[in-house]
Amino acid sequence: GPGILTRTLLNAGVRVVALENNSAFLPNLQSLENSLDGQLKVIYGDFFRLDPLVSGTVKPPAMCSDKLFETMGVAAVPWRADVPLKVFGILPQRKERVTLWRLLFALYECSSIYRCGRVELNIFISEKEYKVLTAKPGEARAYQALTVLWQVGCEIQLLHMEPWSSFVTNLKNGGLAIPKTRWLPNDHLCLVRLTPQQNLFTGALKPTNSATFIFMVKQCLVKPKSKLTDRLNSWSLDNGGKLLRALEIPKNAQTRNLYPEDYRRLFEVLQNSSVFTETWFHDEVLESIRNINL
Amino acid sequence: MALLGLRAALPGPARLRGGGIPWSVLRTYSSASPKEKAARNAVCERTELLEAVLKARVKQLQASNVPEVMVNKVELAPLGSDKYQDPLGKAVAPGPTEEKPAASGQGEGPAQPSSWVEKLKKEMYIRQLKVEQKLSIAASRPALEGQAKAKPKGKAKDKAKAKVKAKKSQKNQKSAKAKVAAARSHAVSHSVYSPSKPRAVAVKKAAKAQRSQRVPGAKDSNQYKVLQQTILSNLECFLFLQQPEEAERLLLLYHSSPVKRRLLNISAYDVVMRSWARKGHLQRINRLFSMLESVGLRPSLDSYSAALECMGRNQSSPKVIQRCVQQLKKDGFHVDELFQQCLFEEDEKEKVLSAIRIVQPNYQLPPPPKPQTCKASLLPDFYSKEKMVSYPKLDFSVQELQERFQQQLEMELDNTVTIESVESAKPLTPQAIKARKVLATLRSQWHDSILQALQKSKRSMSRLKTASGYNMLYPYLYLLPDEEYVGIMLQILNTLSPQGESLAVLARELGSKVYNRYITQRKLRSRQLEKVQEIYEDYIHLLAKDSQPDEYLPREYWEKLVAEAGFGPSLNLKDCSWPYMLLMRLGMHMLELLVKAVKVPRNILNPRLEPKLIPVLYHIYSFRSSWQVGLIKPHPIFSQIVSDAAETLLTFNSSAIPMLCPPVPWTSPHFGAFVLNDTKLMRFVDGAVQHQMLLEQCPLVNLHPVLDALNQLGNCAWKINQPVLDIIISIFNDKGNEKLDIPPPISEAPRPPAASSNSSTWNKSQKHKFLLCKKKAAEMHSLRMDALYKLSIANYVRDKVFWFPHNMDFRGRTYPCPPYFNHLGNDVTRAILLFAEGKPLGPNGLDWLKIHLINLTGLKKKNALQERLEYANEIMEEILDSADHPLTGRKWWMNTDEPWQALACCMEIARASRSPDPAAYVSHFPVHQDGSCNGLQHYAALGRDLIGAISVNLMPCSVPQDVYSAVAQQVEEFRKKDAEQGVKIARVLQGFISRKVVKQTVMTVVYGVTRYGGRLQMEKRLKETEEFPEEYLWEASHYLVKQVFNGIKEMFSATRDIQTWLTESAKLIAQSGQTVEWVTPLGLPIVQPYYRSRSTVLNCGMQNLSVKTSTTNQKPDTVKQKNAFPPNFIHSLDSTHMMLTALHCLRQGLTFVSVHDCYWTHALTVDVMNQICRQQFVALHSEKILQDLSEFMLEKYCSPGRETRALWQKKLMEQLSNVPRTGEFNLKKVMDSTYFFS
Repeated sequence: GPGILTRTLLNAGVRVVALENNSAFLPNLQSLENSLDGQLKVIYGDFFRLDPLVSGTVKPPAMCSDKLFETMGVAAVPWRADVPLKVFGILPQRKERVTLWRLLFALYECSSIYRCGRVELNIFISEKEYKVLTAKPGEARAYQALTVLWQVGCEIQLLHMEPWSSFVTNLKNGGLAIPKTRWLPNDHLCLVRLTPQQNLFTGALKPTNSATFIFMVKQCLVKPKSKLTDRLNSWSLDNGGKLLRALEIPKNAQTRNLYPEDYRRLFEVLQNSSVFTETWFHDEVLESIRNINL
Repeated sequence: MALLGLRAALPGPARLRGGGIPWSVLRTYSSASPKEKAARNAVCERTELLEAVLKARVKQLQASNVPEVMVNKVELAPLGSDKYQDPLGKAVAPGPTEEKPAASGQGEGPAQPSSWVEKLKKEMYIRQLKVEQKLSIAASRPALEGQAKAKPKGKAKDKAKAKVKAKKSQKNQKSAKAKVAAARSHAVSHSVYSPSKPRAVAVKKAAKAQRSQRVPGAKDSNQYKVLQQTILSNLECFLFLQQPEEAERLLLLYHSSPVKRRLLNISAYDVVMRSWARKGHLQRINRLFSMLESVGLRPSLDSYSAALECMGRNQSSPKVIQRCVQQLKKDGFHVDELFQQCLFEEDEKEKVLSAIRIVQPNYQLPPPPKPQTCKASLLPDFYSKEKMVSYPKLDFSVQELQERFQQQLEMELDNTVTIESVESAKPLTPQAIKARKVLATLRSQWHDSILQALQKSKRSMSRLKTASGYNMLYPYLYLLPDEEYVGIMLQILNTLSPQGESLAVLARELGSKVYNRYITQRKLRSRQLEKVQEIYEDYIHLLAKDSQPDEYLPREYWEKLVAEAGFGPSLNLKDCSWPYMLLMRLGMHMLELLVKAVKVPRNILNPRLEPKLIPVLYHIYSFRSSWQVGLIKPHPIFSQIVSDAAETLLTFNSSAIPMLCPPVPWTSPHFGAFVLNDTKLMRFVDGAVQHQMLLEQCPLVNLHPVLDALNQLGNCAWKINQPVLDIIISIFNDKGNEKLDIPPPISEAPRPPAASSNSSTWNKSQKHKFLLCKKKAAEMHSLRMDALYKLSIANYVRDKVFWFPHNMDFRGRTYPCPPYFNHLGNDVTRAILLFAEGKPLGPNGLDWLKIHLINLTGLKKKNALQERLEYANEIMEEILDSADHPLTGRKWWMNTDEPWQALACCMEIARASRSPDPAAYVSHFPVHQDGSCNGLQHYAALGRDLIGAISVNLMPCSVPQDVYSAVAQQVEEFRKKDAEQGVKIARVLQGFISRKVVKQTVMTVVYGVTRYGGRLQMEKRLKETEEFPEEYLWEASHYLVKQVFNGIKEMFSATRDIQTWLTESAKLIAQSGQTVEWVTPLGLPIVQPYYRSRSTVLNCGMQNLSVKTSTTNQKPDTVKQKNAFPPNFIHSLDSTHMMLTALHCLRQGLTFVSVHDCYWTHALTVDVMNQICRQQFVALHSEKILQDLSEFMLEKYCSPGRETRALWQKKLMEQLSNVPRTGEFNLKKVMDSTYFFS
């Protein structure tokens, strides 16, 4: 856009690489770039169209992350190393949820922006999505698969909340193009910092098998009120009861009452007992990947 | 806006009506007149006063809020204390706790004005209404202490409702009367969904009863109908089960609750009466009559029929019967009507008659109604008795046809047919033998466990029944013997593909299987089948070769026989279709049982594992962007065993097999086609009810031509081309052949790379490869199964003569009913079908066969018929070689457009040409004549477009014209001009514009392709052209689609106008909230079934299922209504043309069938058919089709009776009256056009 965020960041004295997807705004930003002594680099591109799923040539503003990192001069660092890069941005309201899912898959696969390490995201999201990301077990409507997966994957900090009323609009009706919500509050825009967990891949969870984890969590939380044992049984796992006892999860626990950490432990036990590879589960996961990445 | 309803509850509505002071309801706005204001104040005061008395403090009645009392007559029936929130959800699956015995026996009829919303739903715009309502205030007074309660009506709009409960015993009723000035009310349809928050302060004692309450708004009233239907079909189940006690219990459940009572209509009471009548309990029927009176319902003819039946059964005294007959007459009925209108089952008719004869010993049945004759202007002579010719005979004797009918009947009585698949020819491997044994053991175990699970669930349901609740599914699990339910479930298990299936599909399949068997049982029980059998045995005399020729059409003959047998209308079963929701719910219940009950030992394939039972079916979700689909998949262990066993038995519904005797002729929208299987005259998407209703409303005589055309198509007898079938099966059982469209077996599927076994370490490309293999295998499986079904059915009937009963879609396009194997299928299936009737080739027959062969090859499309014939003669050697050595010779046939039909044709030509006298050679081979771009032909004829008419062969020409080339040429001209003007993209496109590029778009223009879709098509074509520079794809396709549209506009100027006119009209109609309807020139009423879908969530244990609901008062989907109207209208014309051709071919004794715009007949009669086809095209388009459409629509949508002030109506009237003008083309020219259909 006009570069308000960019200017704020520049004023803070940091080096900024700005991605602009609208060529109309480019000239202004480029003149700003020229007026500064290398503190700002402007690139024609769209952060939310990084590494598009469709095959074929990538046309700007869509772009590939490795090319981007090359131009930026950012090198990959090991996962456990410090944050190599901070990203600031505002999630488009209409694609908010899709974007959050895509980022999540990238995170668990260490692909796209996460290829170069634990990239820190500082993003503006709507309050309702923030509520989802930070929901506690048992919270009806808010506690979802997205919650579990983000909480396992990242440390989530709220940096700032700004009421929607602070924003101007160019819509005819004078309102903001904010999706309506029925169940969750949505009165603010939230600046949230998502820092990937350093120990994300220290256990049995690996970028190679993380798809199984994501799949498992999604299946469990489709119907949050269902019992975990029913879910396990419906997958033809034959030792569901024993498993829950070992994990000290009550037999009648509903899937929405499990902590994110519980899901991680559940996954690790299942992974180690090689249940996944022995059953159909594995094929299903592969199938599900088709809809995600590939 | 606040709403306050005050109502005194009284025992019955009758008393409510009896005198009182009308209340006043005030519509208020600041502009209200002083008088109104005063009145309003009065209302406020009164309300406040009442409140005080009631001790109910309703928060909403604050000064700022304008109290409004809206009441109207409809609400007179007091509403019950039960919550009335989601009638559907509640009634279809009431949980045990949800439902309490209605009204809890307190005998109170608390009232609440809630049904006003129902009225509102009809008025999306704001409207003023005046309602008068009488309400006795005083009546409520005694009840005020402690009983009053404020029912919260949660609404963002601040609606409050005070609800008054009153005691039954009222003494001095002082009534107050007040004027009701009604109010403008915002349409609340959207807010009804929001759960309500209790706003009003609840009075003491009310807290417990306080439940969230919804206004029954638009949504609910839609569901109201479904619920009504559900109750009715439940009652009918009890009638079927002969459980009048249960039926009455259910009826009382609703009757005794004033809210729920409104769901009962007269038919509900009738059903219960009939079940008592069957048992001869007259007292119960009397009680029901008095119940009817108490709720103010008028007894129907069926009520009297039930009462009389019962009296006949009991041989009641003449006095009783006399009284009943008198009352019947008093209600405006006539005794004769009983026998003319009631759909009697079993011995009902005899009993009613015997009762009548007790009081009128000489009573004679009324004579059957005179048959009516259709007077369609397009069929002036068709139905005239003078020009009647006798109906063509089949090559069967009465005896033979009777035997075939018995076979068909037995097959349908069994419901399913199990046949050997064509794969059974393969030898069995030891592995397969072992796997089959395992499978057999497992199946018998599963059978037992499913049976147990079913019985257990039935027990728990009946326990529930005796407690407080009532499970709607309960009777549906008793309709059939347990074994049948188990059989249905096992069948689903056997046919489940390894890729799994969505829950919704499986549930629907299970539900409809139960329904179909129930219908069969009902037909048996009601003696309907007996009657059909009786009539059919006489009917075949019309068709058999050894009986007298008769000058009747099949339908007329059938009707005549029915009238003679005195069956009246009772051959039709009482309509008893189940609501779609119910079908799904029943299916879900059975699916849940299946998933829970069926298990397999985990170690069955690998004995080293722990022996433990695991479920065979698992339930999983598949995620698609924003929604998810629940799937049921078989465990790989099960799939493995099934594939090892390679079983060769296939089980089909009996309706999937072609009929073994001539179909039952269509005589009404409910009756025809199969003997037992329920078939709809018009196919519809699940749950759509609009067509059926429209057909029912239409006078039957108007449907005669359509019914007769369908009968004609269905009466065509078929047989199998055995040599071709054998060749196809041999390839199928070998390795298949993708080029020849014979799907290879799964064993030929590409294998995934056998990389490391632990797939979690696979890299991306390995996973990718694996997935591609899986995808390919899944595709191959479904193609293979489809072919397997088709070939196996063909093989099953290989030595038989068979028939395809026909029905139609909502535009009148006809289809054979059996789904897998029929003449609408692909090249392979068409190649194995022959007419059962043979006709000599005659002088031109052999030439027609040769031309037909060349047509099938796709060569010589631009050449004259004579040239095609010459070409065939030139390559005669190739043809004979193909016929003699199809798989070992030079295989000329394999490189044609339709190889299998070409091969079949080669063989026929070989036989004919080698016979001593080809003209006398008896051929069974169907020869096709295709309309060239039939949609555009109809457009060009409608618009009398000269250039267009020439390009689609409406004008006689020496060689066939090709509209695609013509458009391509036109576009090329535009391009040249643009290129000269320096348009860059026009230059880039030089040399790329061809017939191929524009073909698809031109073809689909008729069917309403948009610029967007057209561009995508263009892009695809250009991508296929390798040399085309990729970077220009978007720009070029954009440019091309524009030019193609321009080209068509230039050539078919009137056509585009007509299309626009149709689209615009449909848009205005849909925007006014109505659906587009019209009537074809043959009299078939059509309605476009596109509505804004509304889905209801079925809350089932395993998964919530979102089901689209369809009711009569849905809002139309404007976009679909508009975009689909032109193509649908054209389709309704092409179907009319086909039907006209079919009927006139019948009169000329021709065999005729069609695949939409492709007409088939014997080689001998091609010339005659061609002539009829052209005549009928000219006749059809000589009608003032567009004027008639315009008049019909003006009448329908803009008739003066309706509100004419509305702006939309003026616009619509203008639009509809402005029929596009037409061109200069002389329609008669079609008569001489060789290539019109060729």
